[in-house]
Amino acid sequence: MDRHFDDELQDVKKNLLQMATLVEESITKALDALKKKDSDMVSTIREIDHQIDTCEIAIEEQCIELIARHQPVGSDLRFLIGVIKMNNDLERMGDHAVNIAESIEYIIKGPHIKSITNIWSMAKIVKQMLRKSVESFIDNDPVKAQQICERDSIVDKMRTETIRILLTYMLEEPETVGTAIPYIMVAKNLERIADLSTNICEDVIYIAQARVIKHHAEEHKA
Amino acid sequence: MIIRTSNVNLYYHTFQALKHIDLAIKENLITGIIGPSGCGKSTLLRVFNRMNDLIDGVRITGSVVIDDEDIYSPFCDLTMLRKKVGMVFQRPNAFPLSIFDNVAYGPRVWGITDKKTLTEIVERSLAGVDLFGGLKDKLHHSALSLSSEQQQRLCIARLLAVEPEILLMDEPCSALDPIATGKIEELMFDLKKTYTIVIVTHNMQQAARIADDVGFMLLGELIEFDKARKIFTNPADERTFGYISGRFG
Repeated sequence: MDRHFDDELQDVKKNLLQMATLVEESITKALDALKKKDSDMVSTIREIDHQIDTCEIAIEEQCIELIARHQPVGSDLRFLIGVIKMNNDLERMGDHAVNIAESIEYIIKGPHIKSITNIWSMAKIVKQMLRKSVESFIDNDPVKAQQICERDSIVDKMRTETIRILLTYMLEEPETVGTAIPYIMVAKNLERIADLSTNICEDVIYIAQARVIKHHAEEHKA
Repeated sequence: MIIRTSNVNLYYHTFQALKHIDLAIKENLITGIIGPSGCGKSTLLRVFNRMNDLIDGVRITGSVVIDDEDIYSPFCDLTMLRKKVGMVFQRPNAFPLSIFDNVAYGPRVWGITDKKTLTEIVERSLAGVDLFGGLKDKLHHSALSLSSEQQQRLCIARLLAVEPEILLMDEPCSALDPIATGKIEELMFDLKKTYTIVIVTHNMQQAARIADDVGFMLLGELIEFDKARKIFTNPADERTFGYISGRFG
């Protein structure tokens, strides 16, 4: 039994989970700040993003070193390739959290828009998707991962609905454009976070079962 | 399929070294056989040219068909079989003769005496292993003056001279350094366009680099046989994964 290599793989997993925790914290803080229209929080979220970027580089270097030194095969190889991809996806999520936080400044300056409940419903589902995608990785559970992937279409529909509502606002009251556009950007960023959570789930399925489900690859193969 | 085995069992006296081997080796591919020491991979390789016949107390059951001929049938011409199925060994075994005579040895055994024909065969065979350019002015030097890698190439050229179909290679790079190993691997890529290659190797990375199909053997059984890509990214059997990942074996 190559215990040393197994310990190193566990260490990679632990580091990725620490990064995922930072990403979740960053998204939660960005959405709370958006709700409270608290632009002071932007600098905190940028600071967390800086930590996330540092984690990304460290994890990537760790994976590259393990591949070079141990030349892994089978599920070990799939694990490290999957982690490299998830690492990249988590880092992108951190950027989306910063984008959401930066939109607060524009929203504060513009006129108030009353009904944006769809955004909060979307945010709730997106946060759940991120948390459960990370859980499916911790548990190496492809069934859970598959279930999360299926939620992505719900978020896509909610984004379209949110944009439709905000467009109606802009048509009826053109002075709301300055506020509605940042909200559209928030919806777009949330939808991208959901996409990236879906990517993580696809990687979990690849690691566990060596199945490539992205882009409907299995249907094309069949 | 160029080689097909059905339920091959091989015994050294009472010890069963190969158990129920069913295998199909395809033409113009490199097939790698991997497994821990003593698992029977070299024994299996020697089944394909009946080299085990030379060992006392060996008994074999089942069938081994090469080019639609059962090579263990009493009607099989052993000399023709060994011409068709050449073998390269772990250590280069150049004869203490000149480079020319090493390569001409096989054709001479087959009755070719015409000097012009022999020269053509020697040149073609040495060119086939990328040795002719560097050695064309030294053909009458001793083969033992060559480097290990050149001697291994020479041994392969000696096989090519009798125009085989299948090349069996038993750890052909284990006595070579990484640079020489890389050159022999490149040669194998070139050779597979014309020949079918079966290689036994302890070097997992070598199997991953060069083999199209890979068989994993353990305690005389063929545990798994599949495309190299499948074996090294998603092996079906836990024992295969355990071995290729270095967790046991």
